[in-house]
Amino acid sequence: MSTIFSIRDVTVRFGGLLALNRFSMDVAQGAIHALIGPNGAGKSTVFNCVSRFCTPVSGDIVFDGKSLIALPPHGVVALGIARTFQNIEQLYRMTVLENVLVGLTSRAPLYFPFGPGAARARAERQAVADAEEVLAQTGLLPYRDMLAGNLDFGHQKLLDLSRALAAKPRLLLLDEPAAGLRNREISHVDAILVDLARRRGITIVLVEHVMQLVMSVADTVTVLSFGEKIAEGVPAAIRSDANVIEAYLGREATHA
Amino acid sequence: MTLVLQGVASGIVTGCVYALVALSLVIVYKSTDVVNFAGGELVMLGGYFGLFFLIYADLAYPIMFVLVPVAIFVAGALFDRITLAKVSGRTFVKHVDLVPLVVATIGLSYLLKGGVRVVPYTEEVRRLPPIFTGPPLFFDDIVLQVQDIAIIGVTTLIMVALWVFFRFTLLGKALRATSQNARAAALVGIPVKTMRMAVWGLSASIAGIAGVMLAPKLLMTPDMGSVVMLAFAAAIIGGFSSLPGCVVGGIMLGIVQNLVGIFLSPQAIAVTPFFVIMLVLLLRPQGLFGETIALKKV
Amino acid sequence: MHGSPPLRHLLPLGLLIAAGFVLPQFLPEYFLYIANTLMVYLILAIGLDILLGWSGQFAFAHIAFYGIGIYGTALLNMRLGVPFVLGMPLAAAAAAAIGFLIAIPATRLRAVYLALATFAFAECAQWVYRTWDSVTKGPDGLRISAPDIFGYVVGTDKRALPVIAIILALVLAATLYLGRSKLGRSLCAIRDSEHVAAASGIDVKRTKVIAFTISAFYAGVAGGTYTLFQSFIHPDGLGVWTLVLVLSMIVVGGSGTLPGVVLGVVLLGLLPEALRAAPRGLLVWQEFAYGLILTLAIMFMPRGIWGLFNRRTRARRKPALSVEAPAPARALQHQSP
Repeated sequence: MSTIFSIRDVTVRFGGLLALNRFSMDVAQGAIHALIGPNGAGKSTVFNCVSRFCTPVSGDIVFDGKSLIALPPHGVVALGIARTFQNIEQLYRMTVLENVLVGLTSRAPLYFPFGPGAARARAERQAVADAEEVLAQTGLLPYRDMLAGNLDFGHQKLLDLSRALAAKPRLLLLDEPAAGLRNREISHVDAILVDLARRRGITIVLVEHVMQLVMSVADTVTVLSFGEKIAEGVPAAIRSDANVIEAYLGREATHA
Repeated sequence: MTLVLQGVASGIVTGCVYALVALSLVIVYKSTDVVNFAGGELVMLGGYFGLFFLIYADLAYPIMFVLVPVAIFVAGALFDRITLAKVSGRTFVKHVDLVPLVVATIGLSYLLKGGVRVVPYTEEVRRLPPIFTGPPLFFDDIVLQVQDIAIIGVTTLIMVALWVFFRFTLLGKALRATSQNARAAALVGIPVKTMRMAVWGLSASIAGIAGVMLAPKLLMTPDMGSVVMLAFAAAIIGGFSSLPGCVVGGIMLGIVQNLVGIFLSPQAIAVTPFFVIMLVLLLRPQGLFGETIALKKV
Repeated sequence: MHGSPPLRHLLPLGLLIAAGFVLPQFLPEYFLYIANTLMVYLILAIGLDILLGWSGQFAFAHIAFYGIGIYGTALLNMRLGVPFVLGMPLAAAAAAAIGFLIAIPATRLRAVYLALATFAFAECAQWVYRTWDSVTKGPDGLRISAPDIFGYVVGTDKRALPVIAIILALVLAATLYLGRSKLGRSLCAIRDSEHVAAASGIDVKRTKVIAFTISAFYAGVAGGTYTLFQSFIHPDGLGVWTLVLVLSMIVVGGSGTLPGVVLGVVLLGLLPEALRAAPRGLLVWQEFAYGLILTLAIMFMPRGIWGLFNRRTRARRKPALSVEAPAPARALQHQSP
């Protein structure tokens, strides 16, 4: 499979701290690629660079042949990249449906907002239909009119995912999708991810600590430690890699 | 030329008062991220308490000078304990909203201003006698009141005391810890709630002292609190997170104001602080000494 | 927050307009004056709420734009003979333009600094209104001559009420539509999470500037409407106190919600009249009363009175539906791939 997403030699500094040091990673089209590493390794920094919330001092990030290093944060989704958030930043005052409606902002047409109109009616109808379709796929349709802030944690994570899916992304960045979930919920996420990648051809990069999910679902695993890549390969190889074990030494990292 | 020098000299004096109020604002901001819009009213309250203790209760000046900061300290601490604790106890999901806290300080400011206004005692406009009465001092052609020297002295003293306090005392370090990471501070046993009360009390009492120093120079009315905008301008010039910045900012502002009055027009004095605020935030939001966190990401 | 406002929300606007024509026939002038005042405050408050409550921008320049609306409309009428139907939109557009201009640098600032910078701007504006006496007659105040609308001279409260009711109805309708539009969702999204908004394709900075511009336009409209029934404007009415008054209305009533703002305007708008009518003339207690109400409201009802009853904001226990995720086998129901 060809490489569709490429992080090339990216270096990020926060003041005196070197968060990422010449980090490179190639992701194949349609693959599920996991990014793991101990806390503070720089995994969230990678995602934040791709989302353009922070800017590397050097290096490039290329998706489908287009460099995104100079884009503003709101320009990334137009390329086909969507993400979820580790700390579930929710639109907590809005309902589940409205959260997903916001998720499809990039795909929805503009119209005059202060009054009625055919364009408006058409656009809203389409948007609601699209949003409900996404909610049906992730199983959240029954919670459609519930306030996002009132959902329990597992459902909030599903909502975060639904919102990202609404943008019809070709690359999905998932920031710890399994964190805090119970086993049954993790299996659910597992199945969703496999379905997205295999059946719908969406390329997935996930940052994750829950090894159960990583080992069962990932095609390739990249390991970060202190801002540098220390290993990369199939899950089985990573599991027995000496560098990786050393980086994790002493930690209760594995679940399964 | 003398006019300019006189303007500079008086500017330093008024600048010290602005600096004191600015210190009060910055202390509480650094510790709790809250901007105290009631800062000016605490100054006003200090002035009126001073008036009350001195004239009405007929206490000696030194006693009044000690009682006022104590009384305002209590007021500030109570405000935090009763109102702010209640307001910040409300969080929606994990979202900590600073806006309600600032709105609470706006409420306090009108509560204090309105409350003082309805007390019959304040119906007449009054004047607080200065600490040191005596003939004005002359330096060449520049005139300064004894009170003015006192203001400069008190301001310097307080700034040094604060610097020592935050740097070297256990309590000061605990306060800094609370402001930097409240959760961590709590985990090492620092009583965060009490610390916040203490910070508010300290901030308020500094404002109160500023009130006692300022009041003799003005006619006292419940609207005295409008000095707060000058304090904000001073704090912004200095960079809202820097204590020495407050003093530098305050003095610079005091001098600029007087120079504006001399070279442009007396009318323009009133708008100077606002103009300065906008200018600084436009061109150099972190002020002179502040950290570059005035701008947002995203 | 999607689709279009249902008929049951739009119908009351028709009643509002009807009331605007019927009420002046039998209500005394004093009540009509109160009604007009409240309606202007409502337009002003909604404008501020769009910025503060919907978009979460803690900005206090609103009063300056109100002033531009008032002076703009009045002076265009008196100096240049521009009729109200043209003058008011022009003045409001001017307010919006200035709002747009200051929003560009202002939205770079973090919350606190935004508040201070916009507050400073409002104070500067008030100073301009005070000192530019060749235009605004400064501290003496400006006498406004009654505007006329295609020959219908609107000088008194009685004659102004129907017009103001119509303007308010239009403003409310526009607000209802905005709240359910894509732009409305974007405005609210940036308050809840700028990161989610940006990741969804919302240009956060541009949306903030839009929020400012819309808010300033509302303030300009409120100002223009003011000239319909008030014969006098003084710069003192364009300062902090008015701003805090409008802020209190929003906070006490329920920021972010239209019914909340209406409630707040009515309650806190009537308060001075109640104080005035009290046996000992308690108007001097006004400041204290507002300070107390604002403080108590933010302590005990941060979502306002409306927030206590609103289905949307009442925090509820976990939903009655099961917290289990659906069984893995049927994890994903999809239509066409």
